[in-house]
Amino acid sequence: MTILGELALWIAFPVALFGTVLAFVGGRQQRGDLVLSAERAVYAVFGLLTLASAGIVAAFLGDRFEYWYVWNYSNRELDVFYKAAGLWAGQRGSLLFWVLLLAMFSVIAVFTNRKKNREFMPYVTGVLLTVITFFLCVLLFAEVNPFEQLPFAQADGRGLNPQLQNYWMTIHPPTLYLGFTAFTIPFAFAISALLTGRLDSRWLVIIRKWTLLSWFFLSVGVIFGMRWAYEELGWGGYWFWDPVENASLLPWLTATAFLHSVMIQENRGMLKVWNMGLVTLTWTLTIFATFLTRSGLIESVHSFATNSTIALIFLAFLGVTVSVSILLIIWRYDDLKAENEIQSFASREAAFLLNNLLLLGIAFAVFWGTIFPLIGEALTGKKVSVGPGFFNSVNAPLGMVLLGLMGVGPVIAWRRATKRNIKKNFFMPLGVGLGVFALLVALGSRQWMSLITFGLSAFVFTVIAVEFFKGTKARARIEGSAPPTALLHLVSRNRRRWGGYIVHVGIVMIFTAFAAASFKMELIQTLEPGESVTIESPFGHTYTLTYQGVSTALRTRNMEWQAQALLTVARNGKPVGSITTEKRMYLTYPAPVTEVGIRSTAFEDLYVILANAEDLGRALSNDAGGQRATFEVQINPLVGWIWYGGLMVAFGAMVGLWPSKGSLAEHRSKATPREATREPVGVTV
Amino acid sequence: MGVIIGAVLLVGGVVLFVLYPIIQGQWATLHRTSDEGTEADARKRVSLLALRDVEMDFATGKLDEEDYRALQSELSHAALKAIQEVEVQQKVADLVGSTATGSEALEAEIAAVRVGIAEGRTCASCGHVNSAGSNFCASCGEPLGG
Repeated sequence: MTILGELALWIAFPVALFGTVLAFVGGRQQRGDLVLSAERAVYAVFGLLTLASAGIVAAFLGDRFEYWYVWNYSNRELDVFYKAAGLWAGQRGSLLFWVLLLAMFSVIAVFTNRKKNREFMPYVTGVLLTVITFFLCVLLFAEVNPFEQLPFAQADGRGLNPQLQNYWMTIHPPTLYLGFTAFTIPFAFAISALLTGRLDSRWLVIIRKWTLLSWFFLSVGVIFGMRWAYEELGWGGYWFWDPVENASLLPWLTATAFLHSVMIQENRGMLKVWNMGLVTLTWTLTIFATFLTRSGLIESVHSFATNSTIALIFLAFLGVTVSVSILLIIWRYDDLKAENEIQSFASREAAFLLNNLLLLGIAFAVFWGTIFPLIGEALTGKKVSVGPGFFNSVNAPLGMVLLGLMGVGPVIAWRRATKRNIKKNFFMPLGVGLGVFALLVALGSRQWMSLITFGLSAFVFTVIAVEFFKGTKARARIEGSAPPTALLHLVSRNRRRWGGYIVHVGIVMIFTAFAAASFKMELIQTLEPGESVTIESPFGHTYTLTYQGVSTALRTRNMEWQAQALLTVARNGKPVGSITTEKRMYLTYPAPVTEVGIRSTAFEDLYVILANAEDLGRALSNDAGGQRATFEVQINPLVGWIWYGGLMVAFGAMVGLWPSKGSLAEHRSKATPREATREPVGVTV
Repeated sequence: MGVIIGAVLLVGGVVLFVLYPIIQGQWATLHRTSDEGTEADARKRVSLLALRDVEMDFATGKLDEEDYRALQSELSHAALKAIQEVEVQQKVADLVGSTATGSEALEAEIAAVRVGIAEGRTCASCGHVNSAGSNFCASCGEPLGG
């Protein structure tokens, strides 16, 4: 199986390369047979890559330690679950996995467009196969072939990094990769639109769902990564502005900008060059993110050994694709002229434009902060690091303005807002926002940035709630239905808009959680069994944790030892349960790792870290006198809102993604021409 | 031996699968098919969606009467124009499909000319109906839109 997989990978490369040539020549010469062959090449490459990936998984499951990749990321004792996930555990496998997912999306794009959008398809197929060919080229020729064999088979593998032995690790990378790779489809359509000169509204209509799909996976992937960091890294945070975290955030930011600015193009015929630029930029950033992670150029929890060949190949590819995209946009500049101008800065289009500028501003700051250490090191030869301080101080104010805009955008009028419009729509939400701010100040809080964020969040939330209320009321009036039915119809008739609002609610929850982090409580205490520590929650109550002792296990399946501390928890003196936190020494990892204990409620997490077992040797031999241990106890207020908010974001995106049927279907219906022309102009809301 | 047979089968299968359309002379269509949206359809759809947004904004009190009227008129005009184009395209498609009767064919031609005149696309010199955005007649070369 594994030999067949390796063979499949080698065959996939010439097939993809040949398919690329066929697609571009077929498109240029309008040769339907060549294009059909190129499309078949996409299917063939996907089949071959599936075979190659199955080969790697089979090698992991079969403990084939003659393969360098398997030897490095697995061992006999590893869970089958993590063995199967070995495909994306390291640099080599994850590059193969990346291109497998891209091939999968390419197959979906080619298959669903086999009877429509045909004029775009030669170049779409060409672009997709170009990207696939590039990745295959990297896999085969940049010393990262996952099928590389060692001179002799090893008895056992080196094992998987324990920090990666977490279920979030098994789903976080695939989700993020799905987001990265799915964005290649909009990019391919954009390039095809530029090459064919068909720059009307059609390509935008075609890519809308693809963009949203990619955005959905990117959002969920980033949130999964935060959850993994929170659970596994054991420092009570979820975002550290790690270069690879940043790299995954960058395309998310620009894709978010595009999802908003595309609405201006649709409604007002403006920002065509800008939108084209955003699609290109977002795609470039997905490749940049892959490059940053997989080249090992920047030190991070995610990255692997430095490989300068891969870095050079990636940089060359990025350089060529960016240059070609820019040249194509310049070439078609005349066809991308705006049909309207912004009439007033108090208008929805201006709000969207500002939203775009802020998102790009944040993206630029993140990008700069991420690559600055590289540039600094290249120029001065010294390692420079940019810490969370820089990112927070630049991005927090921009993020707050962005948050505020989320309340302005939905209710401000297109073209120009009148005083009456502003007064009517903003008076109440602003009142609520200011009320929340004033209340918190009155309660004695002086964390100004957080308080402003809470106020803004309340403002935005009220705006959205009023939107739903008014919309449902208007709908109920029009169709004479009960409010729940009216709400359902309201959402289903304009899924993108209302799905977008649901996403906004999720983002508000996430921002609220970020702001609440400044109210975090923490203390470090060394305890003997029977001793207690009390911590006060920012919500006023107290938690008392009583240390019961350590239970240990020696020489388990894949661990040298495991020490689990048990603490009982009382809230305001009333017992509410217990919490455990561990230190583990894996056989395959040089240092002990920590498993934190988390007790979550809707408003706060009690987060306990076993920082140190003072006399480990005696503790491990179950000596009652050697149980003294140091604990770090934290109360993380509203941290759960990030995960609930993430769910809300995912739900909203799914509402937007849900296929719509009815009067405004994307393509002309099967109805007779006579029926089709009867579609009313005055569309009901 | 098994590996070699597997390899040969795999390579042969893939080559045959990919090259089959070229060998058999199978051609994929590279043009818009008649049952899918045209550029005018896309414009119609976009204008109608925008119009729906404006209607919604007005119904929920986000737009003043005056702005609502202006936007509605602008978008309705764009939607109508797109719809007219769609109609013309459909009638022409029907004609090509040879299912239309003589009077319908005439009606379609009149409609096409009417839209052409309204947009300055019908050539004053030879009567040819040019495609949207044309500056010169594709038939006789005379300047359009005078």
